[in-house]
This record gives sequence, structure tokens and C-alpha cells, in this order.
Amino acid sequence: MLVAWGAGAILDQVYLFLLLALLAYIFRNLYNLRRLAIWLGNPQFADIPVHFGLWGDIYSKVARVSLRQAQREKRLAELVNEYTASTSALPDGAVALDASGRIRWFNDAASRLLGLQPAKDIGQPLLNLFRNPEMANFVNNPDYARMLQVSAPGDGERKLEVRLAPYGDDQTLLLAQDITERLQHERMRKDFVANVSHELRTPLTVIGGFIENLQMDESLQIDSLTRPLELMAQQTARMGRIVEDLLLLARLESDSVRNLNDRVDIGELIRNVADECQALTDDVPAIDCEVASTRRVLGDGKQLRSVVTNLVVNAINHTSAEQRVDLRWFDQGAQSLLEVRDNGEGIAPEHLPRLTERFYRVDAGRSRDRGGTGLGLAIVKHILHHHDAKLEIHSRLQEGSRFICRFSSSRLVD
Amino acid sequence: METSDLKHHYSQQFNSELEDIRSRVLGMGGLVESQLGTAISALTRGESDSAEAVVTNDSKVNAFDLEIDQRCTTILALRQPTASDLRLVLAVFKTTADLERIGDEAKRVASMVIRVVGDDHENSLLGPIVHLGERVQQMLHNALDAFARMDLEAAINVVDEDINIDREYENVVRQSTTRMQEDPSSIPEILDMIWAARGLERIGDRCCNISEYIIYFVTGKDVRHDSLEQIKKELGS
Repeated sequence: MLVAWGAGAILDQVYLFLLLALLAYIFRNLYNLRRLAIWLGNPQFADIPVHFGLWGDIYSKVARVSLRQAQREKRLAELVNEYTASTSALPDGAVALDASGRIRWFNDAASRLLGLQPAKDIGQPLLNLFRNPEMANFVNNPDYARMLQVSAPGDGERKLEVRLAPYGDDQTLLLAQDITERLQHERMRKDFVANVSHELRTPLTVIGGFIENLQMDESLQIDSLTRPLELMAQQTARMGRIVEDLLLLARLESDSVRNLNDRVDIGELIRNVADECQALTDDVPAIDCEVASTRRVLGDGKQLRSVVTNLVVNAINHTSAEQRVDLRWFDQGAQSLLEVRDNGEGIAPEHLPRLTERFYRVDAGRSRDRGGTGLGLAIVKHILHHHDAKLEIHSRLQEGSRFICRFSSSRLVD
Repeated sequence: METSDLKHHYSQQFNSELEDIRSRVLGMGGLVESQLGTAISALTRGESDSAEAVVTNDSKVNAFDLEIDQRCTTILALRQPTASDLRLVLAVFKTTADLERIGDEAKRVASMVIRVVGDDHENSLLGPIVHLGERVQQMLHNALDAFARMDLEAAINVVDEDINIDREYENVVRQSTTRMQEDPSSIPEILDMIWAARGLERIGDRCCNISEYIIYFVTGKDVRHDSLEQIKKELGS
């Protein structure tokens, strides 16, 4: 500008030169603006047309921002790719559902297990494709703690275990696991136990019968034989009981026999069992019955009797003759409770969670001497499960134990 | 058809009504599928318990039928739908009727299981009937999937499959006739089984009907009473 003014002063044309200089300046800026617009289409450091002055500054700053942006986008894309790849690798099917139950996203396993078509089925209500009525009920009344076992859509042979998990705003994640093989293994195991027990029953009866014959035989009344024969008889009888209990458990597990229509009077039942147990031997503790409820349980009379017998025999086995066992049948709100309480030796807390496992013994040697099979509480738990009832165990060492069967109102009648 | 197609109405209420009948007819389809599945597995294993459950549950299918009809009528009366909306309501209306009949056939198979299979589980005719049943089951599943996706190609495939179903049915009938000639005392029982097989074959036909409604909804062309070749020609594929 100063140069233009100087040149203008020399030639006496100051305003003309100033105007020309101004025009040149404006054109340069407009030209640079246009170049900037073109360059912004693909802002690369290498393509920067101007490297100095105000324009150079602008170019390099914009280039830096866009570079950072590009790096962030790349990182994000990598993250998304990694995430998609890892969920695709999951062996379990995962489907994300929106608030109205439409499919938002699913992984490869889900498309394989549930027969979903990638891309095409996004936005489709899941229940339109997974039409099983149980599944509809499960999704419409979600219980996030529950798992549903259901046949895979379009493939009745394949069994799935489905569970739901809430996430985000009103969204649900559905997880489906293929449990066909697991169920097969379970069935094989159950069949095996049932078959073995069944096969053992006949030989045991034969052996037991002959031992009894030998014990009766007058010509064999030799001192050296009495004790062995007695032990053989005892052990055969015990094995027989184990086999019977295993068969009972197998039957309970198979679910096939469910005749839960007897109206069982628990009050009468506990009195009977108490009388029987006291009549059996002399050195049993005192057994008291308290019947405060008139409600009856809708169920299988034989099975419930087995529950009471098992609990009472357990209590007797763990108390001495001077101690006591109390049986109570009473209401607690809508529920009714059967309580078997003793003031015997009690159970240490570390054993409590495992008590209902098969063959789990707190003190192996002792309970076996008393003729227990180790299956009693497992049977109790199964039977109660069939009757929609729960078994609760409270116990303290030296103070005694309480076994409570909690029956829910759905199984109770007045 | 994309589900978003159902969202083209200014009235949110109308959209959700159309979505609702579609989901309901598929829910009914799911129930009928499970009824048929249970009937066939009862047939395979000779379980009269689950067969009886099928017979009792048929009332649920009928309840669905009434409910969906009612809703379709309401939509027709209040919304006076046109074009693809009208075709959707009509397709749902007719599909419901066919599903109800499929439910009846499943019940027929189940009552056959209760009458016959209990005492004669080793019947040599069972195999072919079970096989026919499994194919029909798959066909129903595919037809309903095609309905959910409004998938033209899948619908045509279902119609295609019906030829195989007919062939299996003829096979069952042929074997039955032989059995009847060999052992006339078994005729009442075999007649029962032929009825069941006939029921399964009819389910195949009804699946074809459902596919035709899908074609009608997507293209607006009525292809009922056309042969497969005619259908394909008409759709230009």
C-alpha cells in the first residue's frame, strides 16, 4: 500500500494506484478463498497451495484438525470392527431388541440358531420370526432371572436356552445358547443311573434271599458264621435301599409320573410318621407333633409321606435319646410350613449348601452306620420341587437344626 | 416388504393397528406350528398325553381366529384401507382362516394318536406318516417366515415344495392299500391313519394358500387356482 502510495506520489496518480493495489489485494484473497474451498474437498498436508502468511496459517491449522478427525474416525471404525468381530465369534446367539421388541442387531450365531437373515430382518419384531408361544410369553413378561428352554425355530430337534438382559433405555438383549448336546448328556446320565439301579435290583434280591436262608439253616449255626452272615444281610439290605432310592430319584427326575391330585392331610401324616418312628426302636428321642393348620396340600400322598419320613429319620439319627424332635404344621400368611426341629448336634454352616447333593455326608462313617443311603435329602428336595414347595435348612452346631418345607398357596386347599 | 412400509401413515394409530394384526396372525401361526409339532412328536413316540394336550389347546387357536377376525373387521369399517393396506388386511384375514383349519388338522392327527397308537406303537405305516408330517411342519414354518418377511421368493419356494408333499402322501396311501390287502382286520385302524395323512397333505395345500396371499399382498396379483408355472410366468421370474 505504501509502495503504491509512493509510486502514485511520483506519478501524481495516488488514488489510481491505491485503487489498483486494493483491487489486486481483493482478487488475491478471493482467489485464495476459492482455492481453500477446492482444497477443503480433500484436505491433505501435501496439497496445501500456500505455505506463508495468513493463508498458509489457515491451511495448516485446518489440515491439522482434519488429520486429527481422520485419525479419530479410523480408531472408532477399528473399535467397531473389533467389537463386531468379537460378537460374531461368540458361540451364543445375541439379539438386541428395542422397546417394542423389534430386532436392532444380531450376531452370526443368532442368525444360525434362530434362522435370522442378516440385514433383511433388522426392524422386524423378533416374535414374528420366533413364533413359539412359550417364547412370546417369555418376551412379553420378561423375567431377567429366568431361562427358557425352547425348540429352535424351524428345527424341533435343536433345543435352545434363552435368557433376557435389559440394557440402555428400554432395550433388551436376548441371548440364546444351543443346549441340545448338554440335554442329551443329561438324559444319558439319568438313563444310565436308572438302568444300572434296575439291573442291580434283581441280583440283590437273590443274594438277600439266600443270605436269609443261610441264616435260618440249622446246620449252619456255627459261631464263626453268624457275624459274617449278619453283616452280609445288613449290607445287602443297605444296598437294596440305595438302589430303591436311586430308582425313586430317577422317577422323580423323569417328570413322567405326576399325579398331584390327592388332598394330603399333613397334620395326620406327621402324627402317623411320629408314632411309627417311636414304635420302631426304644432309644429314640421324644417326638412331639403340633398341628396348627387345617390346610391340606394338593399333591402325591406317597411322595409327601416320604418327605416327612426322611426328615424325621434324619432328625432322630442326629439326636440322642434324651433330646427331642418337634414336628409342626402351621400357616404363615398364604403359605403353610412344615417344620422338623431337633435340639441335637446341629450342622456346621459350611455343610449347609451341599446337604441336598447326592451322597453328600457331613460325617460319612456315622450316618452310614445308622443305615442312611445319602440320598434322603436329595429326594426330599425333588419331591418338594414337584409340589412347588421350598426346603429351608437352618442349623447351629450344638443347638440343633430346623428343616422347613414351605408350601405356596397355589398347592393349598382348606 | 420392509416394515417401514407400515409407517407411512400420518395416523400413528392406524400404523400400529396394521402392525398389530400382522403380529397377531404370526403369533397364531406360532401356536399352530407348536400344535402340529406336538401332534407329530406324539405320533413318533406314541404319547397320548401330549396328543390330548393338542386336542384341548385347539380352543386357543379358535380364540385367536375370532380375535383377529374381529380386529380386521374393525379396521375395514373404521379406516376403509386402500391399496397395500387393504391387501394386508385381506391377506391377514384369509391367512387366519387357513391357520385355523391347519389347527383342526393337527387336532385330527392328535386324536388319531390317542385312538390308534396307544396299543400299536410299532405300526409300519407310522414311519412314512411321521416323515410326511415333518416335511409339512417345515413347509408351514417356511410359509410363516415368508409371511413375516413378505418374501416373494420364499413364498414361491413353498408352493414348489407342495409337489413333494403330494408325492409322500401318495406313497402313504399306496403302502396302506397293500397293508389292507394283506391284513383286512387292520382296515379300521389304517383308515384312521389315512385320514391323518390326508390331514397332513391338506396342511400342505393350506400353506400354498398362505403363500398365494403373500404374493397377492406384495404384487397385487391374484394367483389362486394358477399352476406353479403360471404363477412364475405371471410374476415374470
